Amino acid sequence: MSELAIRMSEVSKKYPYFTLDNIHLDVPQGQIMGLIGPNGAGKSTTIRILMGLVHPDRGEVRVLGQRMPQNQVAAKWDIGFASEDMRLYDSMTVGWHMHFIQSIYSNWDAAYAGLLLKRFGLPAMQKVKGLSHGQRVKAALLLILARRPKLLVLDEPTTGLDPVARHEILRELTGVMADEGRTILFSSHHTQDVEQISDQITFIDRGRIIDSMDKEQYLDRWRRLRLEVPNGIELPSLPGVIEVKRSGRLAVAIANAFVADLPNAYETSGARVHAVESMTLEEIFVANVEHSREEVEA
Amino acid sequence: MRGSVVGALILKDLRMWREAIVLSILGGVIALAVVQLANEVSVVVGSVCFFIALILVGTMIPLAGIVNERKNKNLAFVMSLPVSSIQYTTSKLLSSTGIYLIPWMALVAAGLLIIQVRGFPHGLIPLALILELLPFIGFAIITAAALMGESEGWGILANVVVQCSYGLTWFFISRVPEVMKYNNSPVIVWSPTDLRILGTEVAIIPLLLVLTYFVLSRKRDFI
Amino acid sequence: MTGDGAFAISQSDKRPMYLQIMEHMKQRVAVGDWAEGQAIPSIRQMAVDLQVSVITVKRAYLELEREGVIVTQQGKGSRVASTPGLGGRLREQELEQHLEQATRIAAMLGMRPKELEHRLREAGDRIAGEPVAEKGTI
Repeated sequence: MSELAIRMSEVSKKYPYFTLDNIHLDVPQGQIMGLIGPNGAGKSTTIRILMGLVHPDRGEVRVLGQRMPQNQVAAKWDIGFASEDMRLYDSMTVGWHMHFIQSIYSNWDAAYAGLLLKRFGLPAMQKVKGLSHGQRVKAALLLILARRPKLLVLDEPTTGLDPVARHEILRELTGVMADEGRTILFSSHHTQDVEQISDQITFIDRGRIIDSMDKEQYLDRWRRLRLEVPNGIELPSLPGVIEVKRSGRLAVAIANAFVADLPNAYETSGARVHAVESMTLEEIFVANVEHSREEVEA
Repeated sequence: MRGSVVGALILKDLRMWREAIVLSILGGVIALAVVQLANEVSVVVGSVCFFIALILVGTMIPLAGIVNERKNKNLAFVMSLPVSSIQYTTSKLLSSTGIYLIPWMALVAAGLLIIQVRGFPHGLIPLALILELLPFIGFAIITAAALMGESEGWGILANVVVQCSYGLTWFFISRVPEVMKYNNSPVIVWSPTDLRILGTEVAIIPLLLVLTYFVLSRKRDFI
Repeated sequence: MTGDGAFAISQSDKRPMYLQIMEHMKQRVAVGDWAEGQAIPSIRQMAVDLQVSVITVKRAYLELEREGVIVTQQGKGSRVASTPGLGGRLREQELEQHLEQATRIAAMLGMRPKELEHRLREAGDRIAGEPVAEKGTI
C-alpha cells in the first residue's frame, strides 16, 4: 500500500459566513488528485489548511508525514505551492525570482528551468508587473517545477488561461507523474482538465465533501439514459437514479450508481431505452451539485 | 545543509529597498554636510525637516514593506517557502529595523554634530536624544501593528495614533523642569528624570517585541 | 520509446478515455507499428506521453491484457502479446465491429439483410474503382 502524501481527517473550520465541515481527504503518493466544486465551496480554504496557513478548529492534517501547521517548515521544503491568492513581486524580474528560489532550495534544476522558460515563452529579464496573467501563472509554476518538489499543491492552476497555456501546463503536470514518488493536488474549474489528468477526484460543495474516489470508477457510476415513455406508463423510481426529467414522451434519467441491469428495469416497466450515455465530468458536476443540495435541504 | 530562509528573506528586503537605502544614505550625508555649512536659522529649519523626514520614513517602511506585501498577495508567496509565520516576522523586524537605522543614526549624528559645530551648549544633548528616540519608537509601534494586524487598517490606525502623539509628547516633555533645566549647561548633565525618560523610551522596544511575537504565536489564520 | 504524437484524446469522441487509448494501442498492433512480442512503454511513460492520468492508462492496459493483446510482467514492463497473427486478428475484430454497427444501423433504417448485402457489394465496387493512393487507409 503506498504511503499517503496527504491525510486530512475530520478537519473543520468555522468562519462567520462559511463553515468547512468534517473534511476527510486522503491522497496516496504518486497520484494526481483533482479537487472540484463550485465557487465558495471551500477548495481554497481546504488548500490553505493543508499548507499550514490556516489552523483548523478540529481535525488532523498530515502532509508528507508532517503534522500541519506545526511542522509546516519541514513539510514546505518538499512542497510546491501556487494559488490565485499568491503573487510574485511586481517590481522584480522573472530571472530575479528564479535566483531567489535557487538561493533557498538546493535541488534547483537550472537546465530544466531554462527549458521551461523557453517552453512557457517567458522573458527572463521582464519585470513581473509587465507580464500577462497567463505568463504570471506560468512563471509561478516554473518556480515550483524547476525544483522538482515531491508534492505540488495548486489552487486553480489553469483558470483564466488560454488553451495553449493550459495545454503547456497540463503537459508539465503529467510529466511530473513519470516519477512515482511525486504527487499533485490541484483544484480547478476546468472539469475537462480534471477529467483528463486526475487519478482521484474529490467533489466539494458548501464546505462538505460530497464524493471522493478513483476517477475511472467515478465516471463509470454515472450514466444518462434517454428514454421513450408511452402514454399511460409511469416510470418507476429506481435505486441509483437521482434525477428524471420528462418532456412529453421523452425522458432523461440520470444515474449516479449505474448497474448493467438498469436499462432492463426501465424496459420492463414499459419504457424504451433509446440510449445509455456516459457523462462528461462537467455534466456530472452540475447534476451532482444540484442533487446534493436537494438532499441537504430535504 | 539547506540555506537560511530568514537570511534569504532579509537579503530580499534589502535588495528590494536598494534604491531607497541609497537615497537615505545620500540624504543623511547631505544633511550632515548642510549642518556644517549653513547658517543658524537654516540649521534649525533643516533639523526640523530632517526630523519630519524621519517620521515619514518610519511610516513608509512598515506600510510599504509589510502591509503592502500582504495586500499585494506577496505574503502568500513568501509563506509558500519553508518558513513559519514567526520566522517571517523575525525577518521583517530585522530588515525593517536595519533599513530604518540608517537614516536614524544619521539623525542622531547630525544632532550631535550641530551641537558640537555650532557651539550649542552640551546640556542640550540629553534632550536631543530623548527627542530623537521618538521617531524610532513611532516606527517601532507602526511596524509592530503592521505585523500583528491582519488588514492594512491596523497599520494605518497605528500611524494616525503615532502622528497625533508626537505633538502631545513634546508638550509633556517640554513641561518637565528636570529635563529642560540643564539645556543651557555647557556640560552634559544627565538628570535622573532624563535617565528615567530615556529608560522608558528604550524599554518600549522590547515590550513591543514581546507583544508582537506573543500575538503572532497565537494567530490561527496567518493569511 | 518516444512520445506518442499521433494520438490525442478527442473531446468530441464520446467514448471514455480508456477505450480511446485501447483502440489506439490496438491500431498500432494492427498496422504493424508494434510487432508481436515487442516491448511497449510502461503505464507511467504512456500516461506522460499521452498527457492523461495514470489510472486511465492502467485501466486500458488491464483490459488489453484481459483481451490478450498485451502482457504485463511485474518489474519487466509491458509488451505486445507474442501470439502469432495478433495483428491480423485485431484487424478482423475491427471488421466485425464495423459489420455489427452496419447491421444495427440497417435495422434502424428498416433495411432487410438482402438490401444490406447489395449495398456492401456496391461499396466494394466503389472502392475498387478508386485511385490507389486512397486505398489502404484504415
